[in-house]
Amino acid sequence: MPRLGDDALYGLADAAIGIGGVDAAEALVLHQAGGLTRFADNRIHQATWRQDLELRVRVVVGGGRVGVAATHEATAEGARDAARRAREMAAAMPPDPDFPGMPGPAAYAAAGRWDEATAGSTPDERATLVAEVIGRLPAGVDAAGALETGETEVAIANTNGVRGSYAVTRAHFSILADAGSGTGYAEAAEPALADLPVDRLGGRAAEKAVASRDPRDLAPGVYPVVLEPAATATLVDFLGYLGFGAKAYDEGRSFLAGRLGSLVCSPLITMVDDGLAPDTIGAPFDFEGVPKRRVALIDRGVAANLLYDWRAAVKHGVEPTGHGLPAPSSEGAYPLHLAMLAGDSSLPDLIAGTDRGLLVTRFHYTNVVNPMETTITGMTRDGTFLIEDGKVVGAVKNLRFTQSILGALSAVRGVSAETELGGEDFGVVRSPALAIERFNFSSATTF
Amino acid sequence: MEPAELTGLALDAATRAGAGYADARFVEEATESITVQDDRVEDLESGRSRGIGVRVLVDGCWGFAATALLDEPSVAAVGRRAVEIARASRRLQRDPVRLSGLEPVVATWSTPVERDPFEVGLDEKLALLLEACAAQRSVPGLGYAQAFVDLWRRRTLFHSSEGSRIDQTVTQTGAGIEAVAVGDGDLQRRTWPNSFRGRCEGGGWEVALGADLVGQGHRIAREAVELLAAPELPDRRTTVILDGSQLAIQLHESVGHPLELDRIFGMEAGYAGTSFVSVGDRGSLRYGSPLMSVEVDQSVPGGLGTFGFDDEGVPARRTPAIVDGVLAGFLTSRETAAVIGEASNGTMRADGWAALPLIRMPNVNLAPAPDGPTLDELIADTADGLLLSTNRSWSIDDKRVNFQFATEAAWEIRDGRIGRLYKNPTYDGRTTEFWGSMDAVCGPGEWRVWGTPNCGKGQPGQIARVSHGVAPARFRDVHVGVR
Repeated sequence: MPRLGDDALYGLADAAIGIGGVDAAEALVLHQAGGLTRFADNRIHQATWRQDLELRVRVVVGGGRVGVAATHEATAEGARDAARRAREMAAAMPPDPDFPGMPGPAAYAAAGRWDEATAGSTPDERATLVAEVIGRLPAGVDAAGALETGETEVAIANTNGVRGSYAVTRAHFSILADAGSGTGYAEAAEPALADLPVDRLGGRAAEKAVASRDPRDLAPGVYPVVLEPAATATLVDFLGYLGFGAKAYDEGRSFLAGRLGSLVCSPLITMVDDGLAPDTIGAPFDFEGVPKRRVALIDRGVAANLLYDWRAAVKHGVEPTGHGLPAPSSEGAYPLHLAMLAGDSSLPDLIAGTDRGLLVTRFHYTNVVNPMETTITGMTRDGTFLIEDGKVVGAVKNLRFTQSILGALSAVRGVSAETELGGEDFGVVRSPALAIERFNFSSATTF
Repeated sequence: MEPAELTGLALDAATRAGAGYADARFVEEATESITVQDDRVEDLESGRSRGIGVRVLVDGCWGFAATALLDEPSVAAVGRRAVEIARASRRLQRDPVRLSGLEPVVATWSTPVERDPFEVGLDEKLALLLEACAAQRSVPGLGYAQAFVDLWRRRTLFHSSEGSRIDQTVTQTGAGIEAVAVGDGDLQRRTWPNSFRGRCEGGGWEVALGADLVGQGHRIAREAVELLAAPELPDRRTTVILDGSQLAIQLHESVGHPLELDRIFGMEAGYAGTSFVSVGDRGSLRYGSPLMSVEVDQSVPGGLGTFGFDDEGVPARRTPAIVDGVLAGFLTSRETAAVIGEASNGTMRADGWAALPLIRMPNVNLAPAPDGPTLDELIADTADGLLLSTNRSWSIDDKRVNFQFATEAAWEIRDGRIGRLYKNPTYDGRTTEFWGSMDAVCGPGEWRVWGTPNCGKGQPGQIARVSHGVAPARFRDVHVGVR
């Protein structure tokens, strides 16, 4: 749908921060609209569209007392009401002598991409693409999944002079193919619908599903694995969740505690967060209006840098990295544009270099077991295969892993040159395929 | 325009555009969230949201559209857009969606509330949370203390083309504490009354006051510090007693979700998965031991899934899911219930105006044993085992068979007595084998409702707040100490 535009977004922001009776005020405006065409059993069963506008107001009154209020009422009066609520809450707060103030004005690099066709895509267009993919499935293969297109407009303004806006589009397709006794999966995300390889993804999922038929049992244990990008993305995403933020580090609850500057995994691994990268769904600034910067989190195996929101940066006397979340942001800085950098191998070569191990398409329902050891658990899903003598020889029933992420990344043998972008909502992750010498599977399931 | 006029406008636009069935939900929400850490307020946030979501059936095909823009043209456009979406979806249709019967109803309902939590002054809320943190910080060696309050109020005006008009307000309150101990590269936490930011229930400020945040602070903090020095739980098979918090999550993941009929029909395959259960298993599948009886209940006092009507206008009810260990029923919607020739049991819920209603757990409860023991008596009856307390981590496969859980703490039981504390406890298993090993359930005096405020499902993703009534139970020959 058409953009609301900067005038409309700044109009709401200005109505909020112009409230008066405060030391400082900030307004973050998020306009999101989009449609999702969801399918299962080869039919479209849930197709939706929604439009939302959220205004989040942070105000400061004497003594560093902060209040935050949000509204979805997209009117000037709604904005002023939110600001008044925030002001009332701030007045009731105890003083915060450590409140660092709000950021000041900054220049922003170009980031993110707006594609008019994606913003204007219709239910009919999405349904047509889905129907075409389903129409190409081999006999005996059904599909479930979703095709989503959407747009996000962001504007931020504060009484210190911060003023910025951007608009991005995104398209995301996921497909699970079911061949009876086997399933396969593929997904991708792009700023533009036209760049989403919907047909190729459908074909890939179908091939995996057919190849996954009649899986054999495999005993749990420690195996070499080749992780496809969607599986690697789980490791990257959870490592990002577990503690690159300065606040977590300061509180001693980050796995990086005492390890900053040290080798924490294989030198083949470099992990960054970069909202300005051309190959992500990017953003020029964070939710406090601080410019985004590329931060090397792990640099050739060394834990290199932390992420700093405005508060942590002021506390430490460093430049903020542009990773603040929407106020009140008590968790501190968080990475939303993670990438594990490409290597120089290929998925076929990683498989060929494995004597006996597993090829994993993706992981499912992963959760943290031990945050300080970066140990997580989850299941394989939708395409898990046995490799013998460098060849995929057949499918195996799904296995549960219980594995330290850094332990796995310490055993990396190879990194593919190809990477894929995945993710939903605000966060995206770009990942390569990995060959890992030792990966612990703690139990198995029945399918 | 008034909300009732807005829903009427949306329905009118949808039916004029060709909808055979339509419903509109005007939803107005208020939220408040407070986090105190040590002696400072970390988070204080107030939220307001209003919008309208329209769901239509056009020639047996669904469409849904929603907007926060509540001017007349936008609301009418949403009604028409829902029809456009439904028409676009028809190209792959095989069998038209049919809905199970439902008498239209005109009604109002609201959560019983003793004290409106949104009217409680901020100074009173902060005083409670600061005192709760102070109680924790009295323990030497603690890293930091947190205390939380979360409030939700959702008013839904439901209006259907069949003539239902339902005005429903649900109020829910959460309050809890978390003690974190850090040392030697380790981190341990204890929470009270539950993880997931505490005790979350339907009701008002009385929920927070009844949570005993201050009274339990010292013990919780002491246990967090003790966990740092505790040994790791060894890898072995043993008897386990699950406390209410952990048993609620066990029930949620391995019973509630697999019995959602949309999952069984493959409608969630693209995201959360399917189920090992099939419709034909009803009446024959032995889900667990004869001590296992589970009910779907939208009426239990204090439940996060307690309401008058679901988001299709189906009245609250109680229906059996498992009776004496045998599968007896499912969680259904009007669409899925029609497939099996039944009436919906009212489990369709949407996460606000922008979300399509989906089958969600309301309150899914494990019955206590009528003459069952107290927890102390159950422990005394256990020769060798573990008491696992308070959920910390959860994971299960996409058909809901293989699971692995972690709790915050485990205590050895030796000759009927509580003994050594263990840290990082984990256990795994397979659903029906595990429930089949349940050989004791505590009695009604130990039964209470546990809130799970963060259940995820659907594309786009939605969160539902659900509850599980359980009494602690014992399971034999369980694998613990997963490596």
